[in-house]
Amino acid sequence: MSMPISGVPTAPDTGQLPGTAPGPAGAGQARLPARHALARMGRAIRSNRKAAAGTVLLAIFLFAALFPGLIAHDDPGADAYQPKLGISTAHLLGTTAQGQDMWAQLVWGTRNVMIIAFVVGLAATGIAVLIGVAAAYLGGLWDGSLSLLTDVLLVIPLFPLLIIIAGYAHGGGTLVLILVITVTSWSYTARQLRSQALSLRKRDFLEAARVRGERRLYIVVVEIIPTMTSLIVAAFLTNALYAVLFASSLQFIGLGDPNTQSWGTMLYWAQNNAALQTGQPMWALAPGACIAALGAAFALLNYAFDEIGNPALRPVRRKRVTRA
Amino acid sequence: MRRLKAIGALVAAGVLAAACSAGKGGGSGSGTTKATNVVTISNENGALWTCGFSPFNGSDTLLTVGFVYEPLVYVNALQNGKTTPMLATSWQWGAGNTSLTFTIRKNVKFSDGTAMTPADVVYTFNLLKKYPALDLTGDWSVLSSVTQTGSDQVTMKFKHAAVPAFYFIAGQTPIVPQHIWSKISNPVSFADSKPVGTGPYKVNPCTKQNITYTANPHYWQSGLPKITKVQYPAFTSNNTANDQLASGQAQWGSQYIPSIKSFYTAKSPSFHYWFPPTVNVSLIPNLKNSLLANVKVRQAMAYAIDREKVSSIGESGYEPPANQAGIVTPTFSSWLDSSLTGKYNYTYNPAKAKQILASAGFKMGSDGIMANSKGQKLSFSVINIGDYSDWVASMQVVAQNLKAVGIQVTPDNLTNTDFTAAIYTGKFQLAYYDQQTFGPSPYYELRNWLDSAGTAPIGKTAATNYERYSNPATDKLFSQYAASTSVSQQHAIINQVQQVMLSQLPIIPVVQAVDWYQWDDSSLSGWPTPSNPYAQPAAYSYPDAEQVLLHLRSK
Amino acid sequence: MRFALRRLGFFVITLWAALTLNFLLPRLMPGNPALAMLSKFHGQLGPGTLHALEVLFGVNTQKGLLAQYFSYLHQVFTGNFGPSLDFYPEPVTSVIGSAIWWTLGLVGIVTILAFLLGTGLGIVSAWRRGGRLDSVLPPVFVITSAIPYFWMGMVLVLIFGITLGWLPTEGGYYVSTDSPGLNLTFFQDVLSHAALPALALLITTIGTWILTMRNTMITTLAEDYVRMARAKGLPGRRIMVDYAARNAILPNLTGFAMSLGFVVSGAILIEYVFNYPGVGYMLLQAVQGEDYPLEQALFLLITVAVLVAILIADIATALLDPRTRTGG
Repeated sequence: MSMPISGVPTAPDTGQLPGTAPGPAGAGQARLPARHALARMGRAIRSNRKAAAGTVLLAIFLFAALFPGLIAHDDPGADAYQPKLGISTAHLLGTTAQGQDMWAQLVWGTRNVMIIAFVVGLAATGIAVLIGVAAAYLGGLWDGSLSLLTDVLLVIPLFPLLIIIAGYAHGGGTLVLILVITVTSWSYTARQLRSQALSLRKRDFLEAARVRGERRLYIVVVEIIPTMTSLIVAAFLTNALYAVLFASSLQFIGLGDPNTQSWGTMLYWAQNNAALQTGQPMWALAPGACIAALGAAFALLNYAFDEIGNPALRPVRRKRVTRA
Repeated sequence: MRRLKAIGALVAAGVLAAACSAGKGGGSGSGTTKATNVVTISNENGALWTCGFSPFNGSDTLLTVGFVYEPLVYVNALQNGKTTPMLATSWQWGAGNTSLTFTIRKNVKFSDGTAMTPADVVYTFNLLKKYPALDLTGDWSVLSSVTQTGSDQVTMKFKHAAVPAFYFIAGQTPIVPQHIWSKISNPVSFADSKPVGTGPYKVNPCTKQNITYTANPHYWQSGLPKITKVQYPAFTSNNTANDQLASGQAQWGSQYIPSIKSFYTAKSPSFHYWFPPTVNVSLIPNLKNSLLANVKVRQAMAYAIDREKVSSIGESGYEPPANQAGIVTPTFSSWLDSSLTGKYNYTYNPAKAKQILASAGFKMGSDGIMANSKGQKLSFSVINIGDYSDWVASMQVVAQNLKAVGIQVTPDNLTNTDFTAAIYTGKFQLAYYDQQTFGPSPYYELRNWLDSAGTAPIGKTAATNYERYSNPATDKLFSQYAASTSVSQQHAIINQVQQVMLSQLPIIPVVQAVDWYQWDDSSLSGWPTPSNPYAQPAAYSYPDAEQVLLHLRSK
Repeated sequence: MRFALRRLGFFVITLWAALTLNFLLPRLMPGNPALAMLSKFHGQLGPGTLHALEVLFGVNTQKGLLAQYFSYLHQVFTGNFGPSLDFYPEPVTSVIGSAIWWTLGLVGIVTILAFLLGTGLGIVSAWRRGGRLDSVLPPVFVITSAIPYFWMGMVLVLIFGITLGWLPTEGGYYVSTDSPGLNLTFFQDVLSHAALPALALLITTIGTWILTMRNTMITTLAEDYVRMARAKGLPGRRIMVDYAARNAILPNLTGFAMSLGFVVSGAILIEYVFNYPGVGYMLLQAVQGEDYPLEQALFLLITVAVLVAILIADIATALLDPRTRTGG
């Protein structure tokens, strides 16, 4: 759960809390309609190895979330089998101490994780766009207060705050988790978006729009936001990554609903049954590996976007010089 | 920069090396007690010690009653109430069983050298009368007076016959020294950090992380205790306590250990475990709920639950299946009325459950839930303590069992505080819980469940009868039992109570809760075993822990 | 000077926000959680304790919200956080005192090690662009940045604790055989118990250091003055250290401040996996045990610690890097 890998280093901006890059250099240069930007992204993804790897991983998990029944045939919640069986053709990962098929739990649990990732990702990104762009465009007192709000939330350690809130809510189902994580984790990406929006403010096409007499809202929605598409996508990936890590951590320590099917709750049960100490390591290793893999998918895609935006970061491929 | 990096790497390597060498040495082996008259306890209490030892403070009783303070008599609940005289050498019930006279042992000293006299006994009981908050066992709900009636005799008078109260009054009430407690201005908040009692141990010293008990030189049983030192570390997590047991650092465990064979007993041939059953863990229906008030619905549930599976899956096989008669076996097998099991045989039989529901007018709906002619569905929520993962797992099995016969049960896992608030006030449909007190016969648990004195209307606090069961005939059975000292009469009455459990099903016992107990006999002998259950073996049982410590000796 | 004042101002505002959050949260939750807590302790609490709890949680009080707020602030600033409910009647401050050294030790040492190792590796990897280190590191650390902290801990438990049996996996020291004191056995005991948690925390946090440093270095290396130094014929190592690294390191410092929040979350989860008796573990226990005064106080403590660390890092950056001072 380290910091998201931001490509360009922190040149201190506006003297506020040292923030992040003014956005990938490429995206801000010329103004592109949204669909061109997306097509460009598509091409970039195909040519970048990291992006390709990330996309493939993500697609696998999406498939598992949408069609779990095709991959795993057992009911994940049914205590139908002999407990603590090892790996076999009948049980690809063995069974838990309660006699549930682990493979089925893993596959069916994907749905819960993906829902959290996407809902929180979208919602948090939505808030971040709203606040970041509003702060940048409205400027003045609005910018000051919104930025302050963002910075304060950025600095307050989120995980302890999540623990406290979840504790007061006496744990709770997926909905509580989604709400709580969304409300607290938008600040990092809001900062990024604000920085980029700020750097766009003075661009010619925006001046032109203002001179034309377009309304502020029009300018924001039609001109600014589409130009920031790649950063918004990157922000979504960041927020989705955090959602997955935060949510599974909360479920792991018992602040989620232990009766839901999810990777985090699998880990909770594994820990409670001392899975590692009693010869059932798969119970703990498999869901954790999945969380890491999904997180890696988001992180790889994020990283790839940074490289696409900032050519300086692209991997240097040295040609092998053969001796004559 | 490079130099800094090199230094950093060197430091890290050095630390790791030191740590590894310590790890190998400090792990298995060197931690075990070379001095074999020391025993270390492994009982996870969930918190660090507060170093308070008042025997009247509910959170401290397990650390002090038995170790430092003693009761008048030791009553063994695992051997049907077998008694061992402690501070009282003999006792006699008066006419009508409304008075009880104890002869107090002579030549007993407190750990500060002062002599213990009958005056201390009288003082202790009257202290509880004066400060009801100290009366943890509720002695004064049945006592009317306690006085000294001879040079070494104390007579207790009762409001009404309450023979079973002997277990609490004689067996669970610790005797405290008058010369110390009479000087305390507020005994309710008195921490008693340097406790003085007649028991075999003194506290010396107590830190947040560990309590060390050392032998009391003035102890009245000469030559005892053979174990001169007891270490009682504080554990805040189950896994840490289990670890210390499995590595041999602690010899006396009172732990819930998942997969105990591979975690514990496989590590050494001297590691053993025994889990004696004590009380029933039951599915509790709220009898004020119109659907659950129908005895046929409860009967169907009793047939639908696969208790074997709940025991093996939810409790790893540690807690044996319960029976609908509510008699805990094998602890109280001698009380089981075998003639009744022929008539009411509540075994796992989902087909019969469906049959009974059909005969009660329920039909299976298209959603897989049974509903009656009025359209009321058999769909309930069951409250559970979310913290107890084994209970959560057990309820998952029960929910699956009941779903198979068309009863939908949704577990609602609450925090401890929310759960107790809900169950006391009757704000639930179904609940999963057990009684908190255990006694030397089935009377104690069953009375708590079924006597209307323990219940209250919905919204008010019911102390023990959560399901709101009330039947004057059943109440009469319990008061008859309380008036009698005849064993045969007691058995006859309990048989009738079993009939109530089997025909009226006020609660549905699922599995039997147990005492958690592990022991390592590589250097110590004298442990309680299934063939020699001379005391309740968990370290948290009081005052039974004293008996265990008095029996232990080095090999 | 103005910069320092502004940073201080921000610190004060964030502190105020954390305090206010702490005040509002229990009052906003449906069904004030403190009410349940009070009923659990019915009859056992002294009047002073009762009052302290009222002020902290707003139960049984007739005062308006604003009046409650001021009594709350007053109580917090006089250091009265009430009694811990799990450790009743011990006050929260002394309960925390027993745990804080463990966390400081663990987190402090790991952060220093991560900084040294991470920065070093980042510099080297940037200097040798396209080399083996550089092509391997980024993808490896993209993946480690996605690994949940607690899972890393579990993997280490499995490998080093259980399969190989080299190191203990539970607790801070062997409670039943050692007692805290200034002796070698205790010190060795502590080290051996800290090894695995520290390793877990190190592995998961070092990635950020390496990559941020690498990326900063790459940009710095593209600067004109570095090219000038190369043209002048200065030895490569000297350029790497004296010219590039020195300038690249500063943004890293502020990155450290931002990542502190993540180090804290990591520490909490790793302490949980290893049952390491620090404040993170204590926070989780307090939440599970519904010990609200302890939870509140721990949250404030962690927040203040992070804020102070960031303030120090900011001021240090300002002192070392004139660019930040002019930036506003």
